[in-house]
Amino acid sequence: MVQESKRLWLHGLLEVCVLGLLEERRDYGLALANRLEDAGLGSVPGGTMYPALLRLETAGLVRSVREPSTTGPPRKYFEVTVEGRSVLAQRRHEWREFSRSIDAVLGLEAHT
Amino acid sequence: MTGWRNNFLRALAERAVSAEMGDELLREADLEAAERGLPPEQIFGPATAYADQLARALRVPSGSPLALAEQSSPALRLNGISKRYGRRQVLNDVTLEVRHGESVAVVGANGSGKSTLLKVCAGTVKPDAGTVERTEHVGYVPQSGGTAEFLTATEHFELFAAARQNSRRRGRATGERLAASLGWSPSSEHTAGQLSGGTRQKLNVVLGELSGPDLLLLDEPYQGFDHGSYIDLWTQIDRWREKGTGVLIVTHMLGDLDRVDRIIELDSPED
Repeated sequence: MVQESKRLWLHGLLEVCVLGLLEERRDYGLALANRLEDAGLGSVPGGTMYPALLRLETAGLVRSVREPSTTGPPRKYFEVTVEGRSVLAQRRHEWREFSRSIDAVLGLEAHT
Repeated sequence: MTGWRNNFLRALAERAVSAEMGDELLREADLEAAERGLPPEQIFGPATAYADQLARALRVPSGSPLALAEQSSPALRLNGISKRYGRRQVLNDVTLEVRHGESVAVVGANGSGKSTLLKVCAGTVKPDAGTVERTEHVGYVPQSGGTAEFLTATEHFELFAAARQNSRRRGRATGERLAASLGWSPSSEHTAGQLSGGTRQKLNVVLGELSGPDLLLLDEPYQGFDHGSYIDLWTQIDRWREKGTGVLIVTHMLGDLDRVDRIIELDSPED
């Protein structure tokens, strides 16, 4: 896929994607960026990732703890709060409906 | 201290982020840079842009969709307003209503009377015909002027608070808090005359809302704002709405009209 369109699409979805990853397991910034890249969503620069994490934290959807690391300087780990979980559940539902509509408009309906 | 780190702290302070929080954010950026073994500008980009993003992330509680204004009482009601300057008909039979907790935009071509309409709402221009009913507590943010050249921002806060029989101390504290929500930390050294156009407009916006009005009248209040401040202003408008303030805003930023509840379009002037 062209990088530019991927970047534009992820723009509105980064926070919910991060919430999804953090629900699976707590993590730190760099590792989250790597997990997104491994998922095929392209590389997310630190200048985008950290403000997104801070927004989630300000909104009370994640919280952070600083922990020593065995390999280097201490890391800031993020985990989903109870409120974060309920927001994520709601966004999942909305996304399912939304992506179904987009698929239909683009002629990608599943032939099942 | 390298240029990036210094620029970063400066930019955060300018955006009203506390020194404590600024140090914390710098420490995190340092740790991140150490972990990756890269200079911070390669990870986060230019310091000012990154600081701007973080400062906004700290003050914008993202998430909750806006509740639409429920059927509430009107904060402003204009009925059949007409105004003529000499032979020129500026407003012709304009009727509108702004309820509490509702935001309404006024749009129209240049010369269609947008600013005149707002002045009629504020009570500084008398219409030739029609009636104006409005709530008692009104904040008005004019397009320009409205501030005193030789007073500092803080002195403005105190003066405006005193006019509403509030203590100067409370005026100062409230003014500084409201300024911070627009990403501005007023300096006690500069007078209004020394502020940039955009910052003076922020002062105007803060003064307009200082005493918690029920109705806020804004005349293109974002002139000279940078992009981040412009976004902050719309967030602020949403907050006023949620508190039950009626907001009437004259705007030519037509791309953002989906942010308001209703739009009033004034007719183009007759040649």
